[in-house]
Amino acid sequence: MNILVCIKQVPDDSVEVSLNQATGKADIEKIAPIVNAFDGYALEMATRFKEAHGGEITVLSVGPEKARDSLRNCCAVGASKAYLVNSEAETDTYGIADTLAKAVAAIEAEAGAKFDVVFCGKETTDFTSSQVGPMLAEILGLPQVTNIVGLEPAEAGLAVKQETEEGYNMVDVATPCVVTVTKPEYDPRYPTMKSKMAARKVVIPDLAVEVNTDAKVSVTKVYEPAKKEAGVKIKEETVEETVAKAIGLMAEAKVF
Amino acid sequence: MVLVYIETAEGKAKNVGLEMITAAKLVSDKAVAVIIGNGNEEAVKQAATFGADEVITVASEGYNTEAYCYIMKSLVEKYSPEAVFVGSTLDGKDFAPRLAAQLGTGCVTDVVAVKVEDGKVVYTCPSYNGNLLNDMVVEGTPVVIVRSGSFKKADPAEREVAVTAEAIEVPADVMRAKIAEAVKEISETVNLEEAEVIVSGGRGMGAAENFALVKELADLLGGVVGATRAPIESGWISRAHQIGQSGKIVAPKLYIACGISGATQHVSGMIGSDYIVAINKDEDAPIFDIANVGIVGNVLDVLPLMIEEIKKARA
Repeated sequence: MNILVCIKQVPDDSVEVSLNQATGKADIEKIAPIVNAFDGYALEMATRFKEAHGGEITVLSVGPEKARDSLRNCCAVGASKAYLVNSEAETDTYGIADTLAKAVAAIEAEAGAKFDVVFCGKETTDFTSSQVGPMLAEILGLPQVTNIVGLEPAEAGLAVKQETEEGYNMVDVATPCVVTVTKPEYDPRYPTMKSKMAARKVVIPDLAVEVNTDAKVSVTKVYEPAKKEAGVKIKEETVEETVAKAIGLMAEAKVF
Repeated sequence: MVLVYIETAEGKAKNVGLEMITAAKLVSDKAVAVIIGNGNEEAVKQAATFGADEVITVASEGYNTEAYCYIMKSLVEKYSPEAVFVGSTLDGKDFAPRLAAQLGTGCVTDVVAVKVEDGKVVYTCPSYNGNLLNDMVVEGTPVVIVRSGSFKKADPAEREVAVTAEAIEVPADVMRAKIAEAVKEISETVNLEEAEVIVSGGRGMGAAENFALVKELADLLGGVVGATRAPIESGWISRAHQIGQSGKIVAPKLYIACGISGATQHVSGMIGSDYIVAINKDEDAPIFDIANVGIVGNVLDVLPLMIEEIKKARA
């Protein structure tokens, strides 16, 4: 199958983000950029699918020049082609989805072949809107399955395993389609020396696609939530004394 | 008018749907509940009880992304609401963004507060694991995905409201992805969102069997067991218990964090708790920064003593 994986470069989500008082925006300049975790799961799922059933994986991103590094990293763990819509233009989720859709059309026109499955992460770790996948599906006119943990080829397309609150759904979906991926039971693979070397040679073209900046959602203010004040920390001589004191405070606060 | 989509489970309204009636009334004169499916008489009654001014029902087979988009789009076209509110559930997050794209309007996710400023509705959404908040304005008829637990349900009152059954026929070719089988793996119902007391375990619990202590304390306090991602991934407890960015967002009256370090991933899901007690052997664990009472000690030593002390205090 001809597979596309859309990725976003985000600041390392293990680092706590604070407000840059001077710019009034998130202070993320010094945080290492990485591939969004759920996009990494999507790529790993796509790669396992390709290994089992054949096909080729292309990765696509809309972002600044340095997002090229993330695309290259993807080429070391399963993707063989990569494209960048090289832009720092600000827009909203719909703008990004629309830009991705135009990029998909451009890649398909150039290759003369359609994608069978478009993978996205279920959300990004920075804004966690979970909007881009479903919006992209709508703009491309394709069906969608969100929050998936696996997929297999089926007679009329794909049999997709979708995580639910109580277990999972098996969803039959026709291809082409868009899927969004949540954390499966496995972790993404690490690149090898050899795969890294090969990825270095991949040419990552800039797509001649303009970012749709006609945003319908705009951010008027960014701020830090009121901090919760730390209470008391108890560490007495013995654990019995510590617990007794804590229970005393809890009883005083009437929480049980 | 705001259309408030109320998701149901076994004929009952999910809490977030009822909470959104409160949110809708902060920005509009009228909250109209939309209930899709069959056998939802109880949910219709709940919507009225918790403040909906009108209720629209649409008969439909089970959930389907594109069918629900079709139904909601038909309603938006007929009623021209100021906004559409959808709860931040798996289904809500599945269809709402697609609906927004169909309507050509903006969408905001995980809204935790709403206000009107200079005649414009401002939606507040967290970003970066809840470390920042963003005030957002949306052009057109926004599709607003509201985080559960962010608004309080109205005080219940017996009320008679108009209930309109809309017949919307979804063409068969609209539904291109179909749920062939729904498998229930998790049989227990864990109602974290409505719990007044939650006792949660983290990596520091050390092993599956130690979760019995968490459960014992939760039972004693009439609460529910929660967990961070680590014990779930280790298979100590089912993911129905997960609290945090990728689990449930909770705001109980009392939250007891056992062997939880306090990564933002988890904290963003429980920071709204009224009173937080943390037990951790690491004196510098970040969980202590947000705890009302921090207990420095080995959780396996502390929990049995706490259980004993609480029993004693109550005797």
